[in-house]
Amino acid sequence: MIQLFHVSKTFGPTAALKEIDLRIRTGEFVFITGPSGAGKTTLLRLIFGAEPPTEGQIVINGINLGRISGTKLDLLRRKIGFVFQDFKLLNRRTVSQNVALALEVTGEKRSVVRKKTHQMLRAVGLATKEEAFPIELSGGEQQRVAIARAMINDPLILLADEPTGNLDPDITREIMVLFRSINLRGTTVVIATHSRELLRNTDQRIIVLHRGKVLE
Amino acid sequence: MVAKLRLWSIYFKYALSSILYNRLIYAISVGTIAISLLIFGAFVLLSVNVRTWIQGWGQTLSISVYLKDGIDEGTREKIRMAIGTLQGAEIKGFITKEKALQDMKGMLGSQAGLLDGLTRNPLPASFEVAFRNVDRKKFEPKRIKEALEKVAGVDEVQYSEQWLDQFEGLLYVLKVGGLAIGGLLCVAVLFIITNTIKLAIYSRRNEIEIYKLVGATDWYVKAPLLIEGALQGVLGALIALGILSAIHFILSFKAIQVFGLPFMDFVFLKQSYALGILSLGLVLGLLGSFIAIGRFFKF
Repeated sequence: MIQLFHVSKTFGPTAALKEIDLRIRTGEFVFITGPSGAGKTTLLRLIFGAEPPTEGQIVINGINLGRISGTKLDLLRRKIGFVFQDFKLLNRRTVSQNVALALEVTGEKRSVVRKKTHQMLRAVGLATKEEAFPIELSGGEQQRVAIARAMINDPLILLADEPTGNLDPDITREIMVLFRSINLRGTTVVIATHSRELLRNTDQRIIVLHRGKVLE
Repeated sequence: MVAKLRLWSIYFKYALSSILYNRLIYAISVGTIAISLLIFGAFVLLSVNVRTWIQGWGQTLSISVYLKDGIDEGTREKIRMAIGTLQGAEIKGFITKEKALQDMKGMLGSQAGLLDGLTRNPLPASFEVAFRNVDRKKFEPKRIKEALEKVAGVDEVQYSEQWLDQFEGLLYVLKVGGLAIGGLLCVAVLFIITNTIKLAIYSRRNEIEIYKLVGATDWYVKAPLLIEGALQGVLGALIALGILSAIHFILSFKAIQVFGLPFMDFVFLKQSYALGILSLGLVLGLLGSFIAIGRFFKF
């Protein structure tokens, strides 16, 4: 469960978010949309705990982000997967090393890391690309690696910031199918997008942001 | 516990892979640290040897008792007996006026002709006295000098302590100079390590961002950087000690003379000093990393 109470965020004189009250239930699939500069990315970063709100409270699964810091926040982040438009993969590491990274940081056994990495890459259809390097993959494949990395710790929440922004329509459909299957396994999925194509014909909840305010 | 060990092995793996990736920067940094610690180590080595030399010479303190001209055999015997009563004193020889002049000519070499114009020999006869196994702290050459100079027939007493005092002064200069230069070099080393780690952080900022995204703790990101700094410091110190050891090896084959006097055995740094330099490298490495990391992350 994600809860925001009167959340505002300002960067200097600019208000990125204004008095946001929001509640996203466990297992929900939500789109956050709005024009560029509406505050979509800032909202995701606040939910992830990458930045503190200027005002208000954010509660993730009963934990108030304002009351934890340091290692506790890092540990909470392991329960939140994050997928980006630019994939954020390490080009010096292979596909399996990139995915394994999220488990390695937990100090998990090597055998478990290997097994889960392999399983996760199979789940996203990249079992044959384990030893490839990110630059050898297509955009869609790179995004699937990023999703595999975000999902390997079985997160409660998956946040995605314009995950299909760099992908063509066919690949976009594949990635969205992947997100839906993740959601069907019980993970709360929050996708920020300004793509009208993505929102057309969807029956999922859509939260519209405009100039830092929710117009849902 | 096992998980922690696993994490430490990952920290070392990341640190080593980063060093290999940025090997040129690290090679330059380690080289500079090695040179800095080498200069510092050279001062320590020199100080240790001067001290050893002074201590060694202190075991055989010597005095020269110059006699007045024209004294008779009886007076000379009385002087000999007076010297004999001094604790630890041993007369190493009696140098006649003629022998003294001959020695002087020998020392002057090609300039010996200068002495030909002398109408009389101005050099005094002397007893050369050595003090064996005396406690240098309790040894009072001034008191001995004053006592002997009161004995009839003694003109003047000169003692090696005067030489030693000069060397004590040299040792002091070496110590102060070593500490001052060492301090400055430590600051330089710290600066170099801090900047190398800062460059490493810059070159890996995307990687660090991704670590944080997947829930890595701050320590997970910082530990490899601290290891990189420590390895730089230790490697630099090891290279410096290696070069110092090689210099010592080469010099130990040469007969070294200081102010015309043979230098005693050229000793290498004691284990504790070598460990000290190694620890200094380690501490500087860790401190440099710590400072660099502190600018990017909150501890």
